[in-house]
Amino acid sequence: MRTQDVFGYSFSAIKLRKLRAGLTTLGVVIGIAAIVALLSITQGLQNTITIQLETGLATDTLIVSPGGGAFGGGQHGGDFGGGALGGAASGFRLLVNDTLTINGLSTDILTSIAVIQRSGYINSTEHERVTTIVGVDFAEYKNIYSTTFVSESGEIPDNPENNTIIIGKRVNERQNGTVLFTAGEDVQILWANATARPPQNESYATHVTAVLQEVGGFAFGGPSDSNIYIPISTAQEFFNTSECEIIIVKLANSDQATIDAVVKKIVDEFAGEVSAISSTAVLNILGSVFSIIELFLVGIAAISLLVAGIGIMNIMIVSLIERTREIGILKALGMKSRTVLAIFLGESVIIGVIGAVIGIALGWVLANIVATVLSSGAITVGTGGGAGASGGLLSITPVLTPLVFLGAFGFGVGVSVIFALYPAWRASKLKPVEALRYE
Amino acid sequence: MEIPKQIRNKIVAFMAPIVEAVNLKKTYMLGKIPVEALRGVNLKVESGDFLAVLGPSGSGKSTLLNLIGALDKPTAGTLLIDSFDVSTLKDNQLSDLRRRVGFVFQFFNLIPRFTAIDNVGLSLSIAGMGKAERKKRAKELLETVGLKDRMKHKPAELSGGQQQRVAIARALANNPRFLLMDEPTGNIDSKTAREIINLVKGLNEEKGVTIIMVTHDQHLAREAKRIVQIFDGVITSDIVNGEPT
Ligand SMILES: Nc1ncnc2c1ncn2[C@@H]1O[C@H](COP(=O)(O)OP(=O)(O)OP(=O)(O)O)[C@@H](O)[C@H]1O
Ligand SMILES: [Mg+2]
Repeated sequence: MRTQDVFGYSFSAIKLRKLRAGLTTLGVVIGIAAIVALLSITQGLQNTITIQLETGLATDTLIVSPGGGAFGGGQHGGDFGGGALGGAASGFRLLVNDTLTINGLSTDILTSIAVIQRSGYINSTEHERVTTIVGVDFAEYKNIYSTTFVSESGEIPDNPENNTIIIGKRVNERQNGTVLFTAGEDVQILWANATARPPQNESYATHVTAVLQEVGGFAFGGPSDSNIYIPISTAQEFFNTSECEIIIVKLANSDQATIDAVVKKIVDEFAGEVSAISSTAVLNILGSVFSIIELFLVGIAAISLLVAGIGIMNIMIVSLIERTREIGILKALGMKSRTVLAIFLGESVIIGVIGAVIGIALGWVLANIVATVLSSGAITVGTGGGAGASGGLLSITPVLTPLVFLGAFGFGVGVSVIFALYPAWRASKLKPVEALRYE
Repeated sequence: MEIPKQIRNKIVAFMAPIVEAVNLKKTYMLGKIPVEALRGVNLKVESGDFLAVLGPSGSGKSTLLNLIGALDKPTAGTLLIDSFDVSTLKDNQLSDLRRRVGFVFQFFNLIPRFTAIDNVGLSLSIAGMGKAERKKRAKELLETVGLKDRMKHKPAELSGGQQQRVAIARALANNPRFLLMDEPTGNIDSKTAREIINLVKGLNEEKGVTIIMVTHDQHLAREAKRIVQIFDGVITSDIVNGEPT
């Protein structure tokens, strides 16, 4: 029997039970759509975050923070306000003037700056916003983050007066675009000092000297849209501390060898009480975290496809029993067993191909809908913690790689065929006389 | 040039029989109880024969026909179809052999979702014929059995007699060595049955198609050239043109 006739026959059998075939196909569609949507969204998300990280922080910087071990304990200031209490259990404190020690460690270290941060509020007469108050040396910070620590209005002074603040774009604007503060405006900043007995709110009056350009997303150690910046000396005074949460180290180059050597020197210098992380390392860690999340999500989607596969098997067995007599006729007319097998597998291939194609299309549409919803700001994704930055809107562009496309297609058709193997084999093994006798 | 019938029959007689059964046995197992359906059948069918098989219900007629049609394998004895020993054939070879046999069933066994022309075409398609050729041949066959104006009808839209004609056309599709008919008129009224028999008789006389037909209707059996009686799994009489052999 010719191949096109085998498929033609399979198709005529599918057409006979349209609803049933449709529901079976739907199972494949849902499974494939879930896989494609999840993969293209996580891929897009990963791209967005990677790009934002790469633009947010030069690869020639290290972040030093208290607490030994790799990427230890989320101490990079992400633990808002906890820094004052913070540090490692050993009682180790990272001090602002540890920068002097670090600067002297290697010729590969160009400079280093301390960062102090607390959560707090910024008030004007009309508005109040929750924010993260970050104390840095403006000139050095601008030097390290020359592309992101850039003002949109006002100016970033190299030698700021003590009562100068710079505010991030998202502190300054509501999501609907309402501008809250302007450069030159007098404001008050405030933080809750939990170390005082009794705990009390402390505040001081200041004025906005610059509003930052939008940074987008978040940056590991670098400027963030949801922070406000004050001079480091003011921060030490205001928060009454000589400790800092992190020290940002600027290197002469971003060679892996340089990074490794400097990391080792710093960690040794502080007897393992600090960790030093490069942005490349963070990218790698994020990359593997994403892989795990992706694997997990796709695993769940794959299970739904397996369920669809079992559905196919179930339907094929029912169909096989219903068509026993028909199979008997085909065999009596001289059809070979392997052609009967091919007819049944052909049905599953048709279901698999249609299901996979619709599933990929549907998954892609879903991914784009989700991406649009996320980007439009209906949902705010908190990227919080670890990277020393706070939440940001994510603009995700879903990505459908050829590999995902072909993989999803192959998986959809493959699952359909594999689960049809047993029923098809049983059909092919039917004995003509017995099959013809079947009522 | 048409060869006169008498001469053709003589030529045919010199050729090897297309069916030869020697001490053919078939035993079914009903659980652990053996049921001897055929208990040593000896039969030779020559090309051009028109043979009616008569016998009471349960005597083994269908069993014999299924064996001759390569739908089943004998338990013991030899069965040569077209000089092939059925017992030695593999699954695939049996399929090939079935294509050279035209089987007509009591219950028509047409594919309900296919039209008359597609049902006939199915047989051709299984043999590997292309679509255009198939259509042409199926049309010719349906004309032969007198269904020229029913080609696009599905089985449910045809009378019993018409369905059986479609089945006969399908059985003839691949120019089989012989037609096997298991009570072809069992589900048809006697007037239509007579028409079917005339059709079959015509095929035998005019086209030289060899026919083995199971029936329990004495009158219809009389239309055949040869009548074989089966009782309880053995052949008890074999009469050719009214003469016992
Ligand atoms: N698959 C089977 N399993 C067990 N016994 C069977 C099977 N098929 C047939 N038989 C038995 O074999 C014997 C012959 O059956 P067969 O169908 O050949 O009879 P038949 O002459 O065609 O009868 P009828 O005129 O009623 O069609 C019967 O006794 C029947 O019960
Ligand atoms: Mg019978």
